Amino acid sequence: MESDDDMHDANDLESVDEDFYSDVTGEVSDGGDAECDFEDDLSDESDEIVSRHQQNYTVLNETDIRQRQEEDISRVSAVLSILKIQACLLLRHFNWSVSKVHDEWFADEKNVRKDVGLLEKPVKMANTGEHKCGICFEVYPRNVVSAAACGHPFCSSCWKGYIGTSVSDGPGCLFLRCPDPSCNAAIGQDMINVLGSDEDQEKYAYYLLRSYIEDNRKTKWCPAPGCEFAVDFIFGCGSYDVSCNCSHIFCWNCTEEAHRPVDCGTVAKWILKNSAESENMNWLLANSKPCPRCKRPIEKNQGCMHITCTPPCKFEFCWLCLGPWSKHGERTGGFYACNRYEAAKQEGVYDESERRREIAKNSLERYTHYYERWATNQQSRQKAFADLRSMQSDKLEKLSDIQSQPVSMLRFIIDAMLQVIECRRVLKWTYAYGYYLPEHEHAKRQFFEYLQGEAEAGLERLHQCAEKELQVYLEAEGPIDEFNDFRSKLAGLTSVTRNYFENLVKALEHGLEDVGPNRQPTCTKTSSSTNTADKVKKAVKSRASGNGSRSAPATSSWDSHWMCEQCTFANPNSASACEMCEH
Amino acid sequence: MAGPSQASLLLQKQLKDLTKKPVDGFSAGLVDDSNVFEWGVTIIGPPDTLYEGGFFNAIMTFPPNYPNSPPTVRFTSEMWHPNVYPDGRVCISILHAPGDDPHGYELASERWTPVHTVESIVLSIISMLSSPNDESPANVEAAKEWRDSRDEFKKKVKRIVRKSQEIL
Repeated sequence: MESDDDMHDANDLESVDEDFYSDVTGEVSDGGDAECDFEDDLSDESDEIVSRHQQNYTVLNETDIRQRQEEDISRVSAVLSILKIQACLLLRHFNWSVSKVHDEWFADEKNVRKDVGLLEKPVKMANTGEHKCGICFEVYPRNVVSAAACGHPFCSSCWKGYIGTSVSDGPGCLFLRCPDPSCNAAIGQDMINVLGSDEDQEKYAYYLLRSYIEDNRKTKWCPAPGCEFAVDFIFGCGSYDVSCNCSHIFCWNCTEEAHRPVDCGTVAKWILKNSAESENMNWLLANSKPCPRCKRPIEKNQGCMHITCTPPCKFEFCWLCLGPWSKHGERTGGFYACNRYEAAKQEGVYDESERRREIAKNSLERYTHYYERWATNQQSRQKAFADLRSMQSDKLEKLSDIQSQPVSMLRFIIDAMLQVIECRRVLKWTYAYGYYLPEHEHAKRQFFEYLQGEAEAGLERLHQCAEKELQVYLEAEGPIDEFNDFRSKLAGLTSVTRNYFENLVKALEHGLEDVGPNRQPTCTKTSSSTNTADKVKKAVKSRASGNGSRSAPATSSWDSHWMCEQCTFANPNSASACEMCEH
Repeated sequence: MAGPSQASLLLQKQLKDLTKKPVDGFSAGLVDDSNVFEWGVTIIGPPDTLYEGGFFNAIMTFPPNYPNSPPTVRFTSEMWHPNVYPDGRVCISILHAPGDDPHGYELASERWTPVHTVESIVLSIISMLSSPNDESPANVEAAKEWRDSRDEFKKKVKRIVRKSQEIL
C-alpha cells in the first residue's frame, strides 16, 4: 500500500519537475554549452525516476520458491529430454540459471555431463546373484545393495552412513558423488530419499531449497531476523530498495537496511566505522587530547608535559594548556606544571565549555556529532514504528469512535506516520553522507546542510503534529470541531515534508552536482508558481548560487583544513593528497 | 549397522587381510591389541627416492564413524617433508573429509571416500614420499628448501633416514 502511494506521488512530482526544468532550460537556452549538458542530464534523470518507481522485484514465500524451482526443473527436463532429477543436478551446478544450463549443454553436452557427473549410459547392476559392498567388503544379496548410475555397488547401511556424514557436513551434500574415488557419478535427491535417514532426507530437501535462493544471482533471502521470505530482483532498472512482506525494507545490493540516497560503499564504511569506533572512541575521548595543530588524537604515555607530535606535524606543545612549547620555560613552571594553565584555570578560562570547544575541533568530536544524529534518528524511527503499530491495532478505531468518523477517513494519520518513518530513515543516512562529504567542498556542504536542515525542520513539524497534536483528539470525550482543520494540517504537512525529502534525495543522488565546482548554477528564476516543490527548489537554488559564487572565507581553523578519511590527519586545504598517509 | 561396530568389524577384517597377504613397502599392526582404532605402520622408504632405506613409523588413528570419516596419520619417526607437519601429521588430500571443501577445489577423486582402506592410504603416503607437493605445504620450511635449496633438503632427509635405521 505504501509503495502504491509513493508511485502516484512520484508521478505527480515528476510531472511537476519536468515543468520546472523545462522552464529552466527555456530561460537559459542562450547560455552556452554547459546548459546543454545540463538539459541532457535532466532528461536522463527523468527517465530514471520513471523506472525507479516501477516495482522491480517480487517477494516470494516458501510455496512460491518451491513452485519456481519445480518449474525451472521441469523446463530444463523437457528441453533437454533428461530426467527431472538430472535436470535438478544440472541446474544446481549452474547456480539455477536456466539459460546458462541451456547454453552450456548445447555448446558441449559431453563436457557438461562430465562436470556434473551425469553418465551418458547408466551401468546396470546384474539383477541376480550376490554383490560385494565396496565399503565394508561384505557380500550381500541384490536387494540390500544399491548403486548410482555408475553401477558401483554398496550396501544400504554403508550408503546410509555415507549420506549421513555428507548431509551433516552441510550444503556440500548437494554435490555428492559416488563413494568410489575413481567414479564421478552424481548422487541425486532420488537416491537420498531412498537410502538416507528421514532426518537426512529432510535436511537435504531444505538445503536444496535454500540453494535455489542463495546460489541464484537474482534472488536473496530477506535479511530481517526470522523472516522467511525471499526476494527476486530484476537488474538494470531503478533503485535497490526492496520492501519485504515482513515490512523490513532493505537494499538489495548490500542487504543492509535501505539507505537511499546514500550509496552502498558509504554505508558499509559508516557501519564498519560505527562497529569499530564506538568503543575506541569512548576510550579516545577519555584518554587522549587532539594535537592543537594537526588534530590527531594523542595519548600521553610518559610523565613529561612536553609533547612532540609525530612527524610530519612535529608540533611541540604543553599537554596542560595545549599552547606551543616554545612559550614555555622555567617561568611557566617548567616540565611538571604549567603556570599558564593553572593561572588560566583559576581565572575560569579553562572551564568545561572552553575545554569542550577545544575538543570540538577534534576529528572524533566531529564523528560523534554525526553518529549521535544518525543514532537518534534511528531511535525516532523505531519509536514511530511502534506508534504506527499501536495506531493500526487499536487507537485508530478508538479515534473513529470518539470523533465519529469512519476509519477510512482517518487514513491521513497512517499516511503521516508512514511518511515520518520513511523520512527518519532518509534523514538518518544523510548524516552518514554528511560525515563523508569532503570538508573542502564548501559549496556542496552548505547546499547539503541547507537541504538537510530544511528537510529536518519539516520532518520535526510533521512528527510533532502527528505525535502530540493528535493526542488531544484521542483523549477527547466527544467529537471536536477542529478535527477537520487538524486533518488538513497534517495532510498538508505530510505532502510538504515528502517534497522536501524528495528534493534532498534527488540532490544527494546526483552528488550535489548543482553546486559542483564545475557547474555553477546560473539560473535564479523568480517567476511565481504555486507549487511547493518548486518554491523549495528555487529557494535552495538561489541560496546555493549565492554561496557558490563567493569562496567561503575560512571562519575557523577547522575550515581551512580537511580531514583525511583514512588516518584522520587534518590537512591544509592547499594539499590535494593527505600529507600523512598519501591517501 | 553403521556405527562403532561396523567400523571395528571393517578394521579387523582389513587387519586380517593384511596379515595374511602383506603388501610390499609397509607393514601394519595394532598399537595395542585391544584397540582396533589405533594402528602402527612402518613405511619403508621407497626405492630410488631420497627416503630410500628408511624405516618410518607412523600411527593411524581411526574415528568411530570410519569409514565415513578419514583416519589421521602421524609419523612418530622424525620426518622432513613438505606435506608432513612439523609434529608429524600427514597432510594429503585423500585424508581430507569431503565436507572440508564444499566448493570442490580438490577433485572429488582426490578426497576421502569410504572406499579407502589402510592399504590405499599407506600407498598414497608412499607416493607422497616419492613426489612431494610443494603447492600447499604443511611444512613451509621444508617446502622452501625442497624448492630453493635441494642439496640442503637432501642432506636433512639423509640424516633422518640414518636416524630411522639406528632405531631398528
